[in-house]
Amino acid sequence: MDDFSQVRKEAARILSEKIVDMVIGFKQGTIPLKSQPMFITSQEDTDKLILDGFCQNNLAVFLHDQPKDKRIGIICRACESRAVRALVIEHQVNRENLYLIGVPCMGILDWKKIQDAADGPVTNAQESGDQILLEIGDKKQVLIRNEFIVDSCRGCGHREPIDVDIQIGEISPIEMNADNLPQTWGESFKSKSADERFQLFTEETERCIRCYACREACPMCYCTECFVDHIAPRWSESMVTPGGTQAWHIIRAFHQTGRCVECGACERACPMDIKMVYLTDKLNDDMKKEYGFEVGENEEKQPPFATITLDDKNRFKY
Amino acid sequence: MMPKLIKKIEFDKTISKWFKSYDVIAPVSSKEGIHFKRIKDPKEIKLDGNQNSIYPPKNVFLPQSEVLFTVKNDNYEMPDQAPRKRIVFGMRPCDARAVWLLDTIFNKADDLDLYWGKRREKALIISVGCASMCSNGFCDTVGSGPFGKDGSDILITELDDAYFVDPLTSAGEALIKSLPEADDTQGKNAKLIQKGSVIKEHQAADLPRIREKLYEAFNTSIWKDVSESCLGCGVCTYLCPTCFCFDIVDEIDRSERVRNWDTCMFRVYSAEASGHNPRPTKAERTRQRIMHKFAYWVDNEAASGCTGCGRCISQCPVNLDIREMVQEITSLKIQ
Amino acid sequence: MDNLYEPIPMRIERIIQETDDASLRSFELSFMRDADEKAFFKAYNPGQFCQLSIFGKGEAPFGIASAAWEGKFVRFTVQNVGSFTDTIHHSRVGDSIGMRGPLGNGFPIQDWKGKDVVVIGGGCAFSTLYALTKHIMHADNRKEYGRIVVIYGARSSGLCLYKPDIKSWYQRPDMEIHQAIDVPEEGWDFHTGYVPDVVKDVAPSPKNSVAVVCGPPIMTKYTLPILVEIGFDAKDIFTSLEKKMKCGVGKCGRCNLGPKYICKDGPVFTLAELNELPLDL
Ligand SMILES: Cc1cc2nc3c(=O)[nH]c(=O)nc-3n(C[C@H](O)[C@H](O)[C@H](O)COP(=O)(O)OP(=O)(O)OC[C@H]3O[C@@H](n4cnc5c(N)ncnc54)[C@H](O)[C@@H]3O)c2cc1C
Ligand code: SF4
Ligand code: SF4
Ligand code: SF4
Ligand code: SF4
Ligand code: FES
Repeated sequence: MDDFSQVRKEAARILSEKIVDMVIGFKQGTIPLKSQPMFITSQEDTDKLILDGFCQNNLAVFLHDQPKDKRIGIICRACESRAVRALVIEHQVNRENLYLIGVPCMGILDWKKIQDAADGPVTNAQESGDQILLEIGDKKQVLIRNEFIVDSCRGCGHREPIDVDIQIGEISPIEMNADNLPQTWGESFKSKSADERFQLFTEETERCIRCYACREACPMCYCTECFVDHIAPRWSESMVTPGGTQAWHIIRAFHQTGRCVECGACERACPMDIKMVYLTDKLNDDMKKEYGFEVGENEEKQPPFATITLDDKNRFKY
Repeated sequence: MMPKLIKKIEFDKTISKWFKSYDVIAPVSSKEGIHFKRIKDPKEIKLDGNQNSIYPPKNVFLPQSEVLFTVKNDNYEMPDQAPRKRIVFGMRPCDARAVWLLDTIFNKADDLDLYWGKRREKALIISVGCASMCSNGFCDTVGSGPFGKDGSDILITELDDAYFVDPLTSAGEALIKSLPEADDTQGKNAKLIQKGSVIKEHQAADLPRIREKLYEAFNTSIWKDVSESCLGCGVCTYLCPTCFCFDIVDEIDRSERVRNWDTCMFRVYSAEASGHNPRPTKAERTRQRIMHKFAYWVDNEAASGCTGCGRCISQCPVNLDIREMVQEITSLKIQ
Repeated sequence: MDNLYEPIPMRIERIIQETDDASLRSFELSFMRDADEKAFFKAYNPGQFCQLSIFGKGEAPFGIASAAWEGKFVRFTVQNVGSFTDTIHHSRVGDSIGMRGPLGNGFPIQDWKGKDVVVIGGGCAFSTLYALTKHIMHADNRKEYGRIVVIYGARSSGLCLYKPDIKSWYQRPDMEIHQAIDVPEEGWDFHTGYVPDVVKDVAPSPKNSVAVVCGPPIMTKYTLPILVEIGFDAKDIFTSLEKKMKCGVGKCGRCNLGPKYICKDGPVFTLAELNELPLDL
C-alpha cells in the first residue's frame, strides 16, 4: 500500500477517541522477510504499524484469546474480514465490539521461496512495486514480486474486504496470477488421477511433525479441545506415523468444510512446508456445488455441516 | 590426538567404507530444506552453505515417536533397539552440543534412559563446523561456537580441497585411524577458518545475570507482553535441539505404549485431572520455555539450555525471537 | 540394566471402600515376583509414590499409603476423578495391575529421629501421612521420635479415611490426634472448621519439632504461614507437592517446578526450599 500513514492515523484516532481499547496489526519483524503481529494500546505505538507482503498471519486468529467484550480494532485485509464474518456467524466474536479497518492486499509472499532464490542469506528485503529488493550482505538482488506470491493468494477471488467500518486505500486491479507462472500446487493436484493424488497426499503428510502450527495459525480453529488432544476416547493415533498424520490432515480438513476462509495461514505457519489448502479448497468447492454455500458470503447463514434442520434430506444414522 | 585429512576427491570413498559396519545418517536435501536421514550413497550428503536442517537431528537419539513397549496380557516388552552401529555425519556444533546437554538428562549411569542410552552407545557424532555462521544463529554467545566441540567425537573443518578431521574422543580417533595425517599448513589453515567464522559484534551472554533477572521477573506481567502474539504451537520446541519433553500414550489398537515429543507450549501439557492448569495462558507457558533455557538449565548444569541454533527464530510463525524476548525481559543481550 | 519405564506386575489383594460416597477406595496390591518385592521394600521410604499402570488407560501417580511392616503388599488410596481412576475403581480383587516405584524422595525420617513430629493432613492427600504415622507408631520405631501430633481434616465425617485405625489412635497414650470436619454434624465429637484454623487452635510446639503438611493446595497454602507464625522454622516444615506427571523419573519434563522435578527431586520439599523456587503450581 502506497500511503500507509492513513491507516496509522485511523488506528491512532480510534484509540484516542476510545472507540477501541486495542488495535491489532503488524510491525517490522526482527529478521528479514518476516513481520510480527502487534497489539497496540497506546496511540504513540501506531507509528510502528506496517503492512507488506511479509505479513503472513491472519490477524483474526488473535481474537480467539481476547475477551468478547473487549473493543478491538483490527487491520483487515480481505481474508481477515472474511474470517471475522465467519467468526461472527459462529458466535465466537461480537461484531459490535470490533472496528475493522479495511486495507488492500497485494498477495502474501513466500519467504522460504525468496530465501531459496536469493544468492545467499538475505540481510534485508523490501517490496517496491512489482519487485522485491534484496540485500545479501553487500550484494543486491531483484526479484519479480508476482513469482513469489503464495499459492493461496494467487487467483484470489475475493480481494475486497467485507463489512469493514472504514476502507482505506484502493483495491488494486493488478492480477496476482500472471499467465507466465506455473500452475499452483492445488491446480496441478486437481488434474491428477486418484492414485496420483493419494500419492501426493501421502508425500505431503509424511513430513508432518504434528506441531499444530497450522491449527494454531488458523482463524477458524478455535475449539477449546481439539480432537487430537482428546484422550478418552482417542479419536486418532497420537504418533507421528502415516496413520497419525494422515488422520490429522483429513479430519482437520473436514472440520473446516465450508468454514475455511482460504487465507492459507496454515500453510504459511507450517515449518515443514506442507501443502494443505488444497484439501479445504476442494471441500469448499463441494459446499458451493452441493449447497450453494460460500463462506463469508452471507451475514447469517451457518455452514451446512454445522447446521441441522428438520427438513434435512438425510437423517443421522448411528 | 592427531588430526587427519580426507581429500575431497576421496570423500565418497571414505564415507562408503563406513557403510559396511555403520548406518550413516547425514544431511540431505528434502522438500522442506535440509533434513537428516540415513543415506545409501555419499553423493546424497549436502554440506554446502551454512544452512542447518529445519528438523533437528535430536531425533536420532530421541525419535519423535517411539514404541516403549509392546504389551500383551499385561506383559510389557521393550522392542529390540537398533542393532547396527551408527554414524551421524555432518551435525552442526550447536546440535552436537545439544546432544551433550541431553546426555545429562538421559545418559546418567545411575538413572539411564535405556532407549536413549542404547542408541547413544552405538553412535558416533561427526560434526562439521560452520565456516560462516548461519543467518539467525548465535551459538558463539551461549557457550558454544561454530566450531564448538561439545558432544562431537570428531570435528571437521572444510578446507579448499580437503576436510580437516579432528578426533575429539578415543572412539572418534579409532574410526579414522587409517586416514592420512594432516600437515602443519593444513592445521594452520583450519585454525584460520575456525577463527574467521565467528561474528565479531557478538558478545558472550552474561548467563548468570540473565538467570538472575529472569527470576526477578518471574511474577511480573512482562511475560504477557512478550507472548501476546504467540500461537501456542509446537514449532519452537519441537525444532529446538535441546527440548526433550515427551508424553507417554497407550495405543490400544497397536498394543503399544509409546512416547511422543510433547511441549510446554501446548495448552494441555500441564492441565491436571481436576481441571486445574498451573500454566493457564501463553504467558506462563512462554515463561516456562524461556526460563527453562536460560535459568533452569543454568541452575542444573551451569550451561545455557539454548545452543543458539536459531531454529525457533527462523521458523516461529509469528516471528517471536527468543533473543528479543530475553532482552525485553532482562534488558540483557544474548547476541 | 533396568528399564525405568517398565511396570512390574501386581495383583489386587484387597479393596477397601473408605468413604460413604465411594469416591475414595484403598487398594492393596501384592507382588507377583519375589525379586520385585525385595527391591521394593529395600528402597521404600514413607512419602514416596508409585506409577500405577493399566494398559489402555495409561499411568497415574499415587502416594503409597502403607508402612513396610504391615506386610508384603502396597496400599494406595485412590480418588475417582477421571479415566484411569475410574477404571481402577471398577477393578476387582484378583485383577492384575502394573506398578513402577517407589518413586521420589519421600520424607527424610532418618533426620527426624529424636524430634517431635506434627502431622497435618487433609482429604486424600492424607495417604502418605497415614503411611508415615503407621511407620513411626510401630513399636520398633516409636522410641526414635518424640511427641507425635496428628491433625487430620475432611469435608465431612463420611469422607474421613482409615476410620478403624484413626479410631484406635485415640486409645494410644503416646500420640495426640485431632480430627476436624468442615461443617458441624450431629454426633461429631471432635473439631469443626478448616485445618489451618485447627492448627492455630492446637498450636503444636515448634521446639525441636518438624511439621509435615499434605492436603489440597488451598489447605496447604493457608496452613504453611500459620506454622511459621507459631514459630516453626521453614527448614522444619515439610510438604508434598503434586503436578501432572508422565514418566515419574525426571525425564519427560512435565512436572518441573523451576529447576526441580517434583517426581524425582520431590515430591517432598521443605518450606525453605519452596521459598527459593518459582511457584509454578
Ligand atoms: C505425586 C503424586 C501423588 C498422588 N497421589 C495420589 C493419591 O494418593 N491418591 C489419589 O487419589 N490421587 C493421587 N494423585 C493424583 C492422581 O495422580 C490423579 O488424580 C490421577 O492421575 C487422575 O487420573 P485419571 O486418569 O483418573 O484422570 P484423567 O483426567 O482422566 O486423566 C489423567 C491423565 O491420565 C492420562 N491418560 C488417560 N488416558 C491415557 C491413555 N490412554 N494413555 C496414556 N495416558 C492416559 C492422561 O495423560 C491424563 O493426563 C497423586 C498425584 C501425584 C502427582
Ligand atoms: S504445521 Fe505442518 S508440520 Fe505442523 S502439524 Fe500442521 S501440517 Fe503438520
Ligand atoms: S513457535 Fe512461536 S508461535 Fe509457536 S509456540 Fe513458539 S513462540 Fe509461540
Ligand atoms: S532455544 Fe531456539 S535458538 Fe536456542 S537451541 Fe532452541 S531452537 Fe535453537
Ligand atoms: S522448554 Fe518446554 S518443551 Fe522444551 S524442554 Fe523445557 S519444558 Fe520441555
Ligand atoms: S513426571 Fe516426567 S519429569 Fe516428572
